[in-house]
Amino acid sequence: MPMSTNPDGSAFSRRMFLERLGGVGGTALLMAGMSALGFGIESAAAAPPAMSGGKGKKVIVLGTGVAGLTSAYELASAGYDVTVLEARDRVGGRSFSARKGATLTEIGGETQVCDFDDGSYINAGPWRIPYFHRGYLHYAKKFHVPVELLNNDNDHSYINFEKGTGPLAGKAVRKQEVAADMRGYATEMLAKQVRQGALDAQFGAGDKELFLDYLRSEGYLTKNDFKYIGAEGRGPLINPGAGLDPGPGKESQPYPLSDLLKSQTWRTLRSVSSLDQQRTMFEPVGGMDQLPAGFMRNMPPIVKLQHVVEKISQSPGKIEVFYTDGAGQKGSVSADYCVCTIPLSVLRGIDLEVSPKFKEAIGGVSYALVGKIGLQMKRRFWEDDHHIYGGHIYVDDPMIGTISLPSTGWLGDKGVILGFYPHGAAAAKISAMSLAERKAYAIAAGQKVFPQYADNAEGSFSIAWHRVPHNMGGWAQWTEEGRAKYYPTLLEPDGRLYLAGEHLSYLTGWQEGGIESAWQQIGKLHQRAQAA
Amino acid sequence: MPTRVIGFAAALSVALSVAGACAAQPAKGKAADGAMLFKQNCSACHQAAGQGVPRAFPALAGNTFVQGDPKAVAFVLLNGRGGMPNFREDLSNEQIAAVLTYVRSAWGNRAAPVAVATVVAAQRGTAGRQDAPSVLPYH
Repeated sequence: MPMSTNPDGSAFSRRMFLERLGGVGGTALLMAGMSALGFGIESAAAAPPAMSGGKGKKVIVLGTGVAGLTSAYELASAGYDVTVLEARDRVGGRSFSARKGATLTEIGGETQVCDFDDGSYINAGPWRIPYFHRGYLHYAKKFHVPVELLNNDNDHSYINFEKGTGPLAGKAVRKQEVAADMRGYATEMLAKQVRQGALDAQFGAGDKELFLDYLRSEGYLTKNDFKYIGAEGRGPLINPGAGLDPGPGKESQPYPLSDLLKSQTWRTLRSVSSLDQQRTMFEPVGGMDQLPAGFMRNMPPIVKLQHVVEKISQSPGKIEVFYTDGAGQKGSVSADYCVCTIPLSVLRGIDLEVSPKFKEAIGGVSYALVGKIGLQMKRRFWEDDHHIYGGHIYVDDPMIGTISLPSTGWLGDKGVILGFYPHGAAAAKISAMSLAERKAYAIAAGQKVFPQYADNAEGSFSIAWHRVPHNMGGWAQWTEEGRAKYYPTLLEPDGRLYLAGEHLSYLTGWQEGGIESAWQQIGKLHQRAQAA
Repeated sequence: MPTRVIGFAAALSVALSVAGACAAQPAKGKAADGAMLFKQNCSACHQAAGQGVPRAFPALAGNTFVQGDPKAVAFVLLNGRGGMPNFREDLSNEQIAAVLTYVRSAWGNRAAPVAVATVVAAQRGTAGRQDAPSVLPYH
């Protein structure tokens, strides 16, 4: 960060800036600022606020997704008297792994009972932990929740695009083939232009030769004439091996450029290069419900399940939450403060004593329509027969979105495939189907890629998050207008009510957003409670 | 037996019967089935009888906006609103006209049919930026 200037005209140095950050937000914010300014200290931003001296003040936490559990754990650890209300008969919220016997009745839908084998599961909500989601990893480490790598990119996986044209349309091609060929052709063409001098004006002294070196390297072009004639990385026709047969194996030939372009398969090549999708990607061993379980192991028994919030009322001295419990009994609990992590899509249906401005802001965001299906396969044919270990099968049917292969149970017997992951209008469509129709649709799509798909399909579990009670959507989808008009209002408490969750972050839809939002909000609560 | 293997033929026949029961994507010019289009595209949220889900998905039955200016209603289908996705890529103008005509006449609603020309008019000037198709969901 360059030097900037204070209103009084004096230079505002990095150091002054950091000192002020430290004064306002304590060490954590100071360290985060140092990271942002390029000092390379990242980890401190990924720690909960240092809190102690809660002195038994009462706090109600609503919801037991990662935001609620984070709030409850940290506040209880800091000496607050915490009560947690959870609407469901389980903790975790959207951090949910569907296992044998899990039941779900969507609004307007049939009751579904997960019919996987024991030990099989699908992460029906979040499923990926990017390496820089330090808050999640902080708790995984703290609670000894083991993680494993999630293969978020597989060179050997298939792309099966049907909407393109030409001979590759509707044909399952390997991603590595498309990647090598497109890079090869693109760099060859560019190299030709550069060598002909068409771009000389673009280069500083000596840069042209370096750029050509780059193109030749990037595209695996021939040494002297910069031609793309295929690359080992696109995969051989016959793998090299022992002796004379297969001996050196047999090289494959590139697809014609025109066929590749018309197939549209090149659209997949940028798919996992965005920051959120880069390697390293993790998943918890045994399912996404393992971190909530880790919280529960490390907290006093303060969570009340099957307590559905009906109303939140406030008076100058207290906040009171009214609920109906699993036995149909109505009751209430009072406290000094409340941290509410209920999704805004649900909260807008609850009777709240808050300011009109706060109430309007709660209604100012929409929630994502999103669906998933897990398909248990009796044999790991994608590994055994196709040598694809994890990663995604790319299709261009938006009702499928992506097919993803499990990154757990390698070389085992069975496995659960993510059979579809549609969004928006496509998710609306698939969620209008019966459970049997959804399953059939998913199987028909996978069958186009894997001849073994339908014959191996066993149990399934599908979910349409926008139809799930207590969720009513996948995640918050802020518009720019909503961020400006409503978001800041919700970050501040209304009376004694604090909101937290992925919806109050710029990491919407990620568990990390819930965790970091919880840290921020309970930090504010603690500061106020200390001053009170 | 809950974990019975579903053979591909069986799975396909279910898929085909779905497609058969609902002429999913009638060719342009062919009469689109508004009721079936509603079931396929709208009913998951607005519910089978258009009753909606309170404070989550608006009821279409008895809805004054839905029975009002047809161009404004078509605009919502083309562009989405709030949590509702747009159906610009998913439905043809004929299909949008058909499904709106159905919604405006079902469940006690009483409003004039929507002409294809009205959908075309609503589309004018509203063609949003076409995002590259997402090949991998965001989360």
